[in-house]
Amino acid sequence: MNFLSLLSVEYKKIKRSKIFLILFAAAFILWIPSIINSDLNFHMETEGISPENNFFIQGFMAMSWFMFPASIVVVTVLLNQTERADNGIIKMLSLPASTVKLSLAKFIVMLSLAAAQILILTGAYYASAAIVSVIQDYNFILPPLFVAKETGIIFLSALPMTAFFWMVSVCIQTPVFSVGTGMASIVPSVLLINTKAWFAYPMSYPLFVVSSEYGKLAANLETAQPELIPWLPVAVVITIICLVISCSCFGWAARR
Amino acid sequence: MNICLEYKKVKRTGFIQLFLCGAILAAVVPVVNMVFRTEMYTSIHNTPVQILLGANWQLMAMFNVLVIVTGTCLLYHIEYDNNSIQKLKSLPITESQVFLGKAALSVIMYMSVLVIEAGAVIFCSCHWFVTGDGFWKELCQNFIYSFIMGLPCIALSLLVSEACKNMWMSFGIGVVCVFTALILPEKPFFLSLFPFAMPFKMLAGTKHVINYIYASAAWIAVTSLAELLLIKIRRSFE
Amino acid sequence: MNIIETKNLVKTYSGFTAVSGINLHIPKGEVYGFLGPNGAGKSTTMKMFLGLVKPTSGSFTIDGKKYPGNRIEILKETGSFIEAPAFYGNLSGEENLEIICKILGLPKSSVSEALELTGLTQFGKRLAKKYSLGMKQRLGLASALIGKPPVLILDEPTNGLDPAGIHEIRMLIRSLPEKYGCTVLVSSHLLSEIELMAGNIGILNRGHLLFEGTLEELRQDASAKGYPADNLEEMFLAMIDEDNRKRGAVI
Repeated sequence: MNFLSLLSVEYKKIKRSKIFLILFAAAFILWIPSIINSDLNFHMETEGISPENNFFIQGFMAMSWFMFPASIVVVTVLLNQTERADNGIIKMLSLPASTVKLSLAKFIVMLSLAAAQILILTGAYYASAAIVSVIQDYNFILPPLFVAKETGIIFLSALPMTAFFWMVSVCIQTPVFSVGTGMASIVPSVLLINTKAWFAYPMSYPLFVVSSEYGKLAANLETAQPELIPWLPVAVVITIICLVISCSCFGWAARR
Repeated sequence: MNICLEYKKVKRTGFIQLFLCGAILAAVVPVVNMVFRTEMYTSIHNTPVQILLGANWQLMAMFNVLVIVTGTCLLYHIEYDNNSIQKLKSLPITESQVFLGKAALSVIMYMSVLVIEAGAVIFCSCHWFVTGDGFWKELCQNFIYSFIMGLPCIALSLLVSEACKNMWMSFGIGVVCVFTALILPEKPFFLSLFPFAMPFKMLAGTKHVINYIYASAAWIAVTSLAELLLIKIRRSFE
Repeated sequence: MNIIETKNLVKTYSGFTAVSGINLHIPKGEVYGFLGPNGAGKSTTMKMFLGLVKPTSGSFTIDGKKYPGNRIEILKETGSFIEAPAFYGNLSGEENLEIICKILGLPKSSVSEALELTGLTQFGKRLAKKYSLGMKQRLGLASALIGKPPVLILDEPTNGLDPAGIHEIRMLIRSLPEKYGCTVLVSSHLLSEIELMAGNIGILNRGHLLFEGTLEELRQDASAKGYPADNLEEMFLAMIDEDNRKRGAVI
């Protein structure tokens, strides 16, 4: 069975799962307080950031700290429970499909759902920016290229984190421990981005990226900027290690 | 009796360990903070409990709320997995009794979490500060208040878990609710009454404390009614 | 005396009638075989008795108690095994039964009795998720038999068992009325299975009750219609076939 067929099978498995309801709900709830408090964007003289940039960055900061990583943890629960309920995983492992390809296919599905969440969030951003522009009689809408660049960087920075969450869900069979580990690992990222070792903690990458962007957009604010060395090699190594472990361990519990 | 049954059911699921680990992680927060920022916090003129909770409660409450959401999802996941809920429905026990048993178990676990966190605050206060008269009273008041604030969150999470057969749905809804709590502004007042935002409330700095206590009681009553309604609606569609 | 009686019991789902106005009379202290092909409405009827599914219309009484008013009282007296074994995978067989024991207010000795009755004593401490299909089936039966309830509702109890296991469970079901005064309602799609267990049978097809009576009456019916009385299977299949043709013609 080739990888693309396997991938299409994995996408089929999440049909009728209603995961998009969760992703949509999160995306729209994110921007409601920003719309309600849109006038606060005009009082950012101390930070020296324009209202439209502040509107954008505050929303994406809230997303990148908790909502986006937590959504990925929810997706891992979805993928695991889909296999475990009614013993679907036993059937999969008894078919002539490589477990490595299976694991990678599921990882791609995770990435697709993460990308979908970012797209939905971006759509929700434009909708709320349009609403706020009308309310405040000020253009809050940023150029699409800029938004695309920022969201693209957030997505790419989330790859190691996604690989880590996937590895945890494959290796830890008890759902409560895999979920608990995932969720617990999200919380300290807000503290760790202020340390020099932030690059060793993949869960802090999206938040670090957004807060560094905040520093760039705010004239009077200085935030740490990512240095490609050692960040990039560490991120690549973490991603590879997590993927290798998850591919080797995939289905181990069912085959015991 | 129901609590004992529910406790039996969660054997080997990691439910107890989840709450314990969450409690330990939350308890570590003030200790680590004090280790790295001793001078900053010891130079503040306030009671040790206020300093410690003021600096650390948001993060500790975050752990508490996540543990509640995950734990309550698990309580109903074990019923829907392997279809044991069908067996339960064919026994002389009502679904409300099952809900109450699970709620009681969750409340006891949440209490244990708060006790461990209070232990960490006591340790930090005794190690880095001078505890004056009224320390124990202040500590008890703060943690009893936090306990009351956590009850609506437990009730609503459990209701969501009961309503959703799939764990990712109940977990996803819980996560969205936690996120909503994080981004909701404090004003107007009614927004701060969102059940998932209430565990983040501290006794110090909260105006109209009694209103929040009434709100907690009201949420528990509303959730109980919603639970009865859910059971009725589900039966009529079966 | 009939322990279970239904009056025009109906269950419809959107556009589909699973159970169509059946009137069952299940005598006390007997094994009643509920027979019908897959999708006949046997499981749906049994689920209605347990309150798992709400009847669309009609009524029934179990031991003089009416549903839904006396639902809890009915469940206190009824042991059941519906569709597939339902259990907590994270608990052992013994622990699963202990939970049911506590809910029913039975003494702790009921657990070991139920395990012994179903041949699970040596596997009692193993986690239920590690049970084979047959063991899971036996665990489901044990959870129905625990405390020897006056009414037992068993939906295809021998599914997944090996021939020795099938024989064992069949003998057990047959002995229950005599030994413990239970009334057993057992369903199957195999007449040969029911023939060996039940004294009274009801034949269901597409939600309709085609026959109700003793096996002897069914044999007489078969003779009257020209079928060999010792081959009830042929009679049963012909009955179902005729009914399907009638319903096909009506449609």
